[in-house]
Amino acid sequence: MKIKLTINGDPYEKDVAENSTLLRFLREDLGLTGTKEGCGAGECGACTVLLDGRTVNACMVLAVETDGSAVETIEGEAKDGRLSAIQQAFDRHHSVQCGYCSPGMVLSVRELIQRNPKPSVAEIKQGLEGNFCRCTGYTQIIEAVLDVTGQVESKGEVTHA
Amino acid sequence: MIYNFRYLAPETREELHAMLADRGAGAALLSGGTDLLVNIRNGVARPECVINVKKVKGFAGVSWSAQEGLIIRAGCTINDLLREPRIREAYPLLAACAHDLASYQIRNRATVVGNVANASPCSDMAAALLCLKARAVLSSSRGEREVPFPEFFKGVKKTVIRPDELLERIIIPAGSAGAPGDYRKLKRINGHDLAIVGVALLKQDGEIRMGISSAAPTPVYVGGLKTSEPAETVVAAALAAVSPISDVRCTREYREHMIQVYVRRLLDEVKG
Repeated sequence: MKIKLTINGDPYEKDVAENSTLLRFLREDLGLTGTKEGCGAGECGACTVLLDGRTVNACMVLAVETDGSAVETIEGEAKDGRLSAIQQAFDRHHSVQCGYCSPGMVLSVRELIQRNPKPSVAEIKQGLEGNFCRCTGYTQIIEAVLDVTGQVESKGEVTHA
Repeated sequence: MIYNFRYLAPETREELHAMLADRGAGAALLSGGTDLLVNIRNGVARPECVINVKKVKGFAGVSWSAQEGLIIRAGCTINDLLREPRIREAYPLLAACAHDLASYQIRNRATVVGNVANASPCSDMAAALLCLKARAVLSSSRGEREVPFPEFFKGVKKTVIRPDELLERIIIPAGSAGAPGDYRKLKRINGHDLAIVGVALLKQDGEIRMGISSAAPTPVYVGGLKTSEPAETVVAAALAAVSPISDVRCTREYREHMIQVYVRRLLDEVKG
Protein backbone atom coordinates (compact mmCIF):
# COMPACT_ATOMS: atom_id res chain seq x y z
CA MET A 1 0.00 0.00 0.00
CA LYS A 2 1.26 3.48 -0.86
CA ILE A 3 1.64 5.91 2.05
CA LYS A 4 2.54 9.59 2.23
CA LEU A 5 4.10 11.00 5.36
CA THR A 6 6.83 13.30 6.58
CA ILE A 7 9.80 12.04 8.56
CA ASN A 8 11.82 14.69 10.37
CA GLY A 9 10.14 17.24 8.12
CA ASP A 10 11.08 15.54 4.83
CA PRO A 11 8.22 14.27 2.67
CA TYR A 12 8.17 10.56 1.77
CA GLU A 13 5.91 8.65 -0.58
CA LYS A 14 6.54 4.93 -0.31
CA ASP A 15 5.04 1.56 -0.98
CA VAL A 16 4.96 -0.38 2.24
CA ALA A 17 3.87 -3.91 3.15
CA GLU A 18 0.59 -3.93 5.11
CA ASN A 19 2.13 -6.17 7.77
CA SER A 20 5.17 -3.96 8.33
CA THR A 21 5.51 -2.08 11.60
CA LEU A 22 6.61 1.55 11.63
CA LEU A 23 9.84 0.33 13.26
CA ARG A 24 10.63 -2.10 10.45
CA PHE A 25 9.70 0.52 7.83
CA LEU A 26 12.06 3.11 9.35
CA ARG A 27 14.97 0.73 9.86
CA GLU A 28 14.79 -1.62 6.91
CA ASP A 29 13.00 0.27 4.16
CA LEU A 30 14.47 3.72 4.85
CA GLY A 31 17.74 2.81 6.60
CA LEU A 32 16.94 5.07 9.56
CA THR A 33 18.54 2.74 12.07
CA GLY A 34 18.75 5.27 14.91
CA THR A 35 15.42 3.91 16.17
CA LYS A 36 16.20 0.67 18.01
CA GLU A 37 14.29 -2.54 18.45
CA GLY A 38 14.39 -3.83 22.02
CA CYS A 39 11.55 -6.08 23.08
CA GLY A 40 9.22 -5.61 20.10
CA ALA A 41 6.25 -5.69 22.45
CA GLY A 42 5.89 -2.19 23.90
CA GLU A 43 7.72 -2.91 27.13
CA CYS A 44 11.09 -1.22 26.76
CA GLY A 45 10.63 2.03 24.79
CA ALA A 46 13.84 1.62 22.73
CA CYS A 47 11.78 2.22 19.56
CA THR A 48 10.12 5.43 20.83
CA VAL A 49 9.44 7.96 18.05
CA LEU A 50 7.10 10.93 17.82
CA LEU A 51 3.93 10.39 15.78
CA ASP A 52 2.13 13.70 15.19
CA GLY A 53 4.01 15.13 18.17
CA ARG A 54 3.27 12.30 20.63
CA THR A 55 5.62 9.52 21.72
CA VAL A 56 4.66 6.04 20.56
CA ASN A 57 6.38 2.66 20.44
CA ALA A 58 7.18 2.21 16.74
CA CYS A 59 7.04 -1.59 17.19
CA MET A 60 3.32 -1.34 17.96
CA VAL A 61 2.25 0.88 15.07
CA LEU A 62 1.67 -0.42 11.55
CA ALA A 63 3.52 1.63 8.94
CA VAL A 64 0.28 1.91 6.92
CA GLU A 65 -1.39 3.62 9.90
CA THR A 66 1.04 6.54 9.60
CA ASP A 67 -0.29 7.57 6.18
CA GLY A 68 -0.73 11.36 6.32
CA SER A 69 1.21 11.72 9.59
CA ALA A 70 4.37 13.46 10.74
CA VAL A 71 6.98 11.13 12.24
CA GLU A 72 10.06 12.35 14.10
CA THR A 73 13.02 10.14 14.90
CA ILE A 74 16.40 10.58 16.56
CA GLU A 75 17.91 11.36 13.14
CA GLY A 76 16.07 14.71 13.26
CA GLU A 77 17.37 15.69 16.68
CA ALA A 78 20.76 17.19 15.77
CA LYS A 79 20.57 20.13 13.35
CA ASP A 80 23.36 21.06 10.93
CA GLY A 81 25.83 18.80 12.65
CA ARG A 82 25.12 20.29 16.09
CA LEU A 83 23.67 18.17 18.89
CA SER A 84 20.36 19.40 20.31
CA ALA A 85 20.21 20.86 23.80
CA ILE A 86 18.87 17.54 25.14
CA GLN A 87 21.67 15.57 23.46
CA GLN A 88 24.29 18.00 24.82
CA ALA A 89 22.89 17.58 28.33
CA PHE A 90 23.00 13.76 27.94
CA ASP A 91 26.64 14.17 26.89
CA ARG A 92 27.54 16.44 29.86
CA HIS A 93 25.95 14.13 32.43
CA HIS A 94 27.22 10.82 31.00
CA SER A 95 23.61 9.74 30.44
CA VAL A 96 24.71 7.38 27.69
CA GLN A 97 26.54 4.14 28.42
CA CYS A 98 25.76 1.39 25.90
CA GLY A 99 23.53 3.88 24.08
CA TYR A 100 20.79 1.47 23.04
CA CYS A 101 18.03 3.24 25.00
CA SER A 102 19.28 6.75 24.23
CA PRO A 103 17.37 7.49 20.98
CA GLY A 104 14.03 6.57 22.58
CA MET A 105 15.00 8.25 25.82
CA VAL A 106 15.87 11.54 24.06
CA LEU A 107 12.53 11.61 22.21
CA SER A 108 10.60 10.89 25.41
CA VAL A 109 12.49 13.74 27.11
CA ARG A 110 11.62 16.01 24.18
CA GLU A 111 7.90 15.35 24.48
CA LEU A 112 8.03 15.58 28.29
CA ILE A 113 9.65 19.02 28.16
CA GLN A 114 7.21 20.21 25.52
CA ARG A 115 4.23 19.51 27.76
CA ASN A 116 5.97 20.26 31.05
CA PRO A 117 8.90 22.73 30.71
CA LYS A 118 9.99 22.41 34.39
CA PRO A 119 9.31 18.82 35.43
CA SER A 120 10.09 17.76 39.00
CA VAL A 121 12.19 14.65 39.62
CA ALA A 122 8.98 12.67 40.22
CA GLU A 123 7.48 13.99 36.98
CA ILE A 124 10.66 13.12 35.07
CA LYS A 125 10.52 9.58 36.42
CA GLN A 126 6.85 9.34 35.43
CA GLY A 127 7.50 10.81 31.99
CA LEU A 128 10.26 8.28 31.31
CA GLU A 129 8.48 5.26 32.84
CA GLY A 130 8.11 3.68 29.40
CA ASN A 131 11.84 3.81 28.59
CA PHE A 132 14.08 1.17 30.13
CA CYS A 133 17.79 1.78 30.66
CA ARG A 134 19.82 -1.17 31.93
CA CYS A 135 23.13 0.71 32.28
CA THR A 136 22.87 4.06 34.00
CA GLY A 137 20.46 3.41 36.84
CA TYR A 138 18.63 6.46 35.42
CA THR A 139 20.32 8.96 37.74
CA GLN A 140 22.45 10.56 35.01
CA ILE A 141 19.46 10.74 32.67
CA ILE A 142 17.34 12.52 35.29
CA GLU A 143 20.23 14.93 35.93
CA ALA A 144 20.44 15.70 32.22
CA VAL A 145 16.70 16.52 32.14
CA LEU A 146 17.07 18.79 35.19
CA ASP A 147 20.00 20.51 33.49
CA VAL A 148 18.30 21.04 30.13
CA THR A 149 15.26 22.50 31.91
CA GLY A 150 17.43 24.94 33.89
CA GLN A 151 17.00 23.18 37.22
CA VAL A 152 20.55 22.12 38.11
CA GLU A 153 19.85 23.36 41.64
CA SER A 154 17.43 20.40 42.05
CA LYS A 155 20.25 17.94 41.41
CA GLY A 156 20.50 17.24 45.12
CA GLU A 157 17.14 15.47 44.93
CA VAL A 158 18.64 12.69 42.85
CA THR A 159 20.36 10.03 44.91
CA HIS A 160 23.31 8.22 43.44
CA ALA A 161 23.25 4.47 43.89
CA MET B 1 8.19 -11.29 10.92
CA ILE B 2 4.45 -10.77 10.93
CA TYR B 3 2.44 -12.91 8.45
CA ASN B 4 0.44 -11.24 5.68
CA PHE B 5 -2.99 -9.93 6.49
CA ARG B 6 -5.33 -7.59 4.71
CA TYR B 7 -5.49 -4.01 6.08
CA LEU B 8 -8.67 -1.97 5.78
CA ALA B 9 -9.15 1.62 6.90
CA PRO B 10 -12.83 2.58 6.60
CA GLU B 11 -13.73 6.27 6.83
CA THR B 12 -17.41 5.98 7.76
CA ARG B 13 -19.21 3.83 10.31
CA GLU B 14 -21.44 2.42 7.53
CA GLU B 15 -18.36 1.17 5.66
CA LEU B 16 -17.00 -0.29 8.89
CA HIS B 17 -20.30 -2.06 9.67
CA ALA B 18 -20.43 -3.50 6.14
CA MET B 19 -16.86 -4.81 6.47
CA LEU B 20 -17.67 -6.44 9.80
CA ALA B 21 -20.89 -7.98 8.46
CA ASP B 22 -18.91 -9.32 5.50
CA ARG B 23 -15.90 -10.69 7.36
CA GLY B 24 -17.12 -11.25 10.92
CA ALA B 25 -14.89 -13.56 12.93
CA GLY B 26 -12.02 -13.40 10.42
CA ALA B 27 -11.52 -9.69 11.10
CA ALA B 28 -9.77 -8.02 14.01
CA LEU B 29 -10.43 -4.41 14.92
CA LEU B 30 -7.34 -2.25 15.32
CA SER B 31 -7.58 0.79 17.55
CA GLY B 32 -4.46 1.43 19.66
CA GLY B 33 -2.92 -1.83 18.49
CA THR B 34 -1.02 -2.19 21.77
CA ASP B 35 -2.62 -5.59 22.39
CA LEU B 36 -3.51 -6.72 18.87
CA LEU B 37 -0.12 -6.15 17.22
CA VAL B 38 1.72 -7.88 20.07
CA ASN B 39 -0.72 -10.82 19.87
CA ILE B 40 -0.24 -11.07 16.11
CA ARG B 41 3.52 -10.96 16.49
CA ASN B 42 3.41 -13.68 19.15
CA GLY B 43 1.10 -15.86 17.08
CA VAL B 44 -1.73 -15.61 19.63
CA ALA B 45 -4.01 -13.82 17.13
CA ARG B 46 -4.12 -14.59 13.42
CA PRO B 47 -6.88 -12.52 11.79
CA GLU B 48 -7.10 -12.64 8.00
CA CYS B 49 -7.95 -8.96 7.98
CA VAL B 50 -7.20 -6.00 10.26
CA ILE B 51 -9.71 -3.14 10.27
CA ASN B 52 -8.40 0.19 11.56
CA VAL B 53 -11.20 2.02 13.42
CA LYS B 54 -9.14 5.18 14.08
CA LYS B 55 -9.81 6.73 10.66
CA VAL B 56 -13.61 6.49 10.98
CA LYS B 57 -15.26 9.93 11.05
CA GLY B 58 -16.81 10.74 14.42
CA PHE B 59 -14.88 8.07 16.34
CA ALA B 60 -12.30 10.39 17.91
CA GLY B 61 -12.06 11.61 21.45
CA VAL B 62 -14.42 12.15 24.31
CA SER B 63 -17.29 14.54 24.94
CA TRP B 64 -19.55 15.52 27.81
CA SER B 65 -23.16 16.57 28.05
CA ALA B 66 -25.15 17.29 31.20
CA GLN B 67 -27.92 14.95 30.03
CA GLU B 68 -26.02 11.91 28.78
CA GLY B 69 -22.81 12.22 30.76
CA LEU B 70 -19.37 11.31 29.46
CA ILE B 71 -19.15 9.68 26.02
CA ILE B 72 -15.88 7.90 25.24
CA ARG B 73 -15.59 6.97 21.56
CA ALA B 74 -13.74 4.04 19.97
CA GLY B 75 -10.74 6.16 18.95
CA CYS B 76 -10.27 7.89 22.33
CA THR B 77 -6.83 7.10 23.71
CA ILE B 78 -6.08 6.86 27.42
CA ASN B 79 -4.14 10.14 27.20
CA ASP B 80 -6.99 11.83 25.25
CA LEU B 81 -9.13 11.04 28.27
CA LEU B 82 -6.53 12.28 30.76
CA ARG B 83 -6.00 15.52 28.83
CA GLU B 84 -9.70 16.40 29.21
CA PRO B 85 -9.57 18.70 32.28
CA ARG B 86 -13.15 17.95 33.35
CA ILE B 87 -12.35 14.28 33.87
CA ARG B 88 -10.03 14.72 36.82
CA GLU B 89 -12.66 16.82 38.61
CA ALA B 90 -15.81 14.91 37.70
CA TYR B 91 -14.53 11.35 37.42
CA PRO B 92 -11.45 11.05 39.68
CA LEU B 93 -11.65 7.25 39.73
CA LEU B 94 -11.62 7.10 35.93
CA ALA B 95 -8.54 9.35 35.88
CA ALA B 96 -6.80 7.23 38.54
CA CYS B 97 -7.31 3.99 36.58
CA ALA B 98 -6.30 5.64 33.30
CA HIS B 99 -3.16 7.09 34.85
CA ASP B 100 -2.10 3.68 36.18
CA LEU B 101 -2.42 1.95 32.80
CA ALA B 102 0.92 0.88 31.26
CA SER B 103 3.46 3.56 30.24
CA TYR B 104 3.12 7.07 28.82
CA GLN B 105 3.86 5.95 25.23
CA ILE B 106 1.28 3.20 25.47
CA ARG B 107 -1.30 5.61 26.91
CA ASN B 108 -0.69 7.82 23.85
CA ARG B 109 -1.82 4.94 21.64
CA ALA B 110 -3.99 2.53 23.66
CA THR B 111 -7.72 3.26 23.74
CA VAL B 112 -10.26 2.99 26.55
CA VAL B 113 -12.56 0.95 24.31
CA GLY B 114 -9.71 -1.41 23.34
CA ASN B 115 -8.74 -1.93 26.97
CA VAL B 116 -12.22 -3.22 27.82
CA ALA B 117 -13.09 -4.91 24.49
CA ASN B 118 -9.90 -6.95 24.87
CA ALA B 119 -11.55 -8.37 28.03
CA SER B 120 -8.37 -9.09 29.92
CA PRO B 121 -9.06 -9.90 33.59
CA CYS B 122 -6.48 -7.23 34.47
CA SER B 123 -8.16 -4.36 32.55
CA ASP B 124 -7.54 -1.18 34.54
CA MET B 125 -10.33 0.76 32.81
CA ALA B 126 -12.90 -1.96 33.48
CA ALA B 127 -12.40 -1.55 37.22
CA ALA B 128 -13.45 2.13 36.96
CA LEU B 129 -16.25 1.62 34.44
CA LEU B 130 -17.90 -1.03 36.63
CA CYS B 131 -18.01 1.37 39.61
CA LEU B 132 -19.26 4.27 37.44
CA LYS B 133 -22.31 2.37 36.11
CA ALA B 134 -21.02 2.78 32.56
CA ARG B 135 -22.79 1.28 29.56
CA ALA B 136 -21.24 -0.22 26.42
CA VAL B 137 -22.86 0.84 23.14
CA LEU B 138 -22.44 -1.94 20.58
CA SER B 139 -23.22 -1.17 16.95
CA SER B 140 -23.53 -3.10 13.70
CA SER B 141 -25.38 -2.78 10.40
CA ARG B 142 -28.38 -4.18 12.32
CA GLY B 143 -28.44 -1.20 14.70
CA GLU B 144 -27.27 -0.39 18.22
CA ARG B 145 -27.70 -2.01 21.62
CA GLU B 146 -26.57 -1.01 25.10
CA VAL B 147 -25.06 -3.35 27.65
CA PRO B 148 -24.31 -2.35 31.26
CA PHE B 149 -20.70 -3.23 32.15
CA PRO B 150 -21.35 -5.94 34.72
CA GLU B 151 -22.98 -7.93 31.86
CA PHE B 152 -20.34 -7.08 29.25
CA PHE B 153 -17.58 -9.54 30.23
CA LYS B 154 -18.17 -13.26 29.66
CA GLY B 155 -14.78 -14.81 30.41
CA VAL B 156 -11.07 -14.42 29.80
CA LYS B 157 -10.89 -12.41 26.54
CA LYS B 158 -14.62 -13.01 25.99
CA THR B 159 -17.37 -10.40 25.83
CA VAL B 160 -20.96 -10.10 24.59
CA ILE B 161 -19.72 -8.44 21.35
CA ARG B 162 -20.97 -10.42 18.34
CA PRO B 163 -18.74 -10.99 15.28
CA ASP B 164 -20.49 -8.28 13.23
CA GLU B 165 -20.50 -5.73 16.08
CA LEU B 166 -18.05 -3.28 17.55
CA LEU B 167 -17.89 -1.44 20.86
CA GLU B 168 -18.46 2.01 19.39
CA ARG B 169 -18.64 4.09 22.55
CA ILE B 170 -18.90 3.97 26.30
CA ILE B 171 -21.37 6.14 28.19
CA ILE B 172 -20.71 7.08 31.79
CA PRO B 173 -23.93 8.54 33.19
CA ALA B 174 -23.90 12.15 34.37
CA GLY B 175 -25.26 10.84 37.68
CA SER B 176 -21.86 9.23 38.42
CA ALA B 177 -20.03 12.58 38.11
CA GLY B 178 -18.45 14.01 41.22
CA ALA B 179 -18.30 10.73 43.14
CA PRO B 180 -15.01 10.34 45.02
CA GLY B 181 -13.05 7.20 44.25
CA ASP B 182 -9.55 5.83 43.79
CA TYR B 183 -7.62 2.83 42.44
CA ARG B 184 -4.91 0.74 44.07
CA LYS B 185 -2.89 -1.52 41.81
CA LEU B 186 -0.33 -4.05 42.95
CA LYS B 187 2.58 -4.34 40.54
CA ARG B 188 6.25 -5.24 40.55
CA ILE B 189 7.47 -1.79 39.55
CA ASN B 190 6.02 1.72 39.71
CA GLY B 191 4.67 2.56 36.31
CA HIS B 192 4.31 0.18 33.42
CA ASP B 193 3.13 -3.16 34.72
CA LEU B 194 0.03 -5.30 34.57
CA ALA B 195 -2.01 -5.49 37.75
CA ILE B 196 -1.13 -8.42 40.01
CA VAL B 197 -4.35 -7.30 41.60
CA GLY B 198 -6.25 -3.99 41.33
CA VAL B 199 -9.05 -2.53 43.43
CA ALA B 200 -11.18 0.46 42.42
CA LEU B 201 -13.52 1.85 45.06
CA LEU B 202 -16.12 4.60 44.73
CA LYS B 203 -18.52 6.15 47.24
CA GLN B 204 -21.74 7.81 46.14
CA ASP B 205 -24.96 8.69 47.97
CA GLY B 206 -24.14 6.39 50.88
CA GLU B 207 -23.26 3.46 48.58
CA ILE B 208 -19.91 1.75 48.10
CA ARG B 209 -19.11 0.23 44.71
CA MET B 210 -15.96 -1.73 43.84
CA GLY B 211 -14.32 -2.96 40.63
CA ILE B 212 -11.61 -5.60 41.10
CA SER B 213 -9.11 -6.61 38.41
CA SER B 214 -6.84 -9.67 38.07
CA ALA B 215 -8.84 -11.62 40.63
CA ALA B 216 -11.22 -13.73 38.50
CA PRO B 217 -11.70 -14.69 34.81
CA THR B 218 -13.32 -11.28 34.29
CA PRO B 219 -13.08 -7.91 36.05
CA VAL B 220 -15.40 -8.21 39.08
CA TYR B 221 -18.14 -5.81 40.19
CA VAL B 222 -19.28 -5.52 43.82
CA GLY B 223 -22.05 -2.99 44.51
CA GLY B 224 -24.92 -2.17 46.81
CA LEU B 225 -22.88 -1.88 50.02
CA LYS B 226 -23.64 0.95 52.43
CA THR B 227 -20.95 3.40 53.55
CA SER B 228 -22.22 2.78 57.11
CA GLU B 229 -21.17 -0.90 56.97
CA PRO B 230 -18.09 -1.93 58.98
CA ALA B 231 -14.92 -2.53 56.96
CA GLU B 232 -15.13 -6.29 57.69
CA THR B 233 -18.44 -6.51 55.81
CA VAL B 234 -17.06 -4.69 52.76
CA VAL B 235 -13.89 -6.83 52.74
CA ALA B 236 -15.98 -10.01 53.07
CA ALA B 237 -18.18 -8.94 50.12
CA ALA B 238 -15.09 -8.29 47.97
CA LEU B 239 -13.51 -11.63 48.83
CA ALA B 240 -16.79 -13.51 48.25
CA ALA B 241 -17.03 -12.04 44.74
CA VAL B 242 -13.52 -12.90 43.50
CA SER B 243 -11.95 -16.24 42.58
CA PRO B 244 -8.23 -15.55 42.14
CA ILE B 245 -5.79 -18.16 40.89
CA SER B 246 -2.11 -18.79 41.60
CA ASP B 247 -0.01 -18.03 38.55
CA VAL B 248 3.39 -16.86 37.40
CA ARG B 249 2.87 -13.46 39.04
CA CYS B 250 1.75 -14.50 42.54
CA THR B 251 -0.31 -16.93 44.60
CA ARG B 252 -4.06 -16.95 45.20
CA GLU B 253 -3.47 -16.31 48.92
CA TYR B 254 -1.36 -13.22 48.25
CA ARG B 255 -4.00 -11.83 45.89
CA GLU B 256 -6.73 -12.35 48.50
CA HIS B 257 -4.59 -10.75 51.16
CA MET B 258 -3.83 -7.69 49.04
CA ILE B 259 -7.49 -7.24 48.03
CA GLN B 260 -8.25 -7.06 51.74
CA VAL B 261 -5.45 -4.55 52.36
CA TYR B 262 -6.50 -2.32 49.45
CA VAL B 263 -10.21 -2.39 50.31
CA ARG B 264 -9.41 -1.30 53.88
CA ARG B 265 -7.06 1.47 52.72
CA LEU B 266 -9.53 2.77 50.14
CA LEU B 267 -12.38 2.76 52.66
CA ASP B 268 -10.25 5.07 54.80
CA GLU B 269 -8.81 7.22 52.03
CA VAL B 270 -11.85 7.78 49.78
CA LYS B 271 -13.91 10.49 51.44
CA GLY B 272 -17.62 10.51 50.79
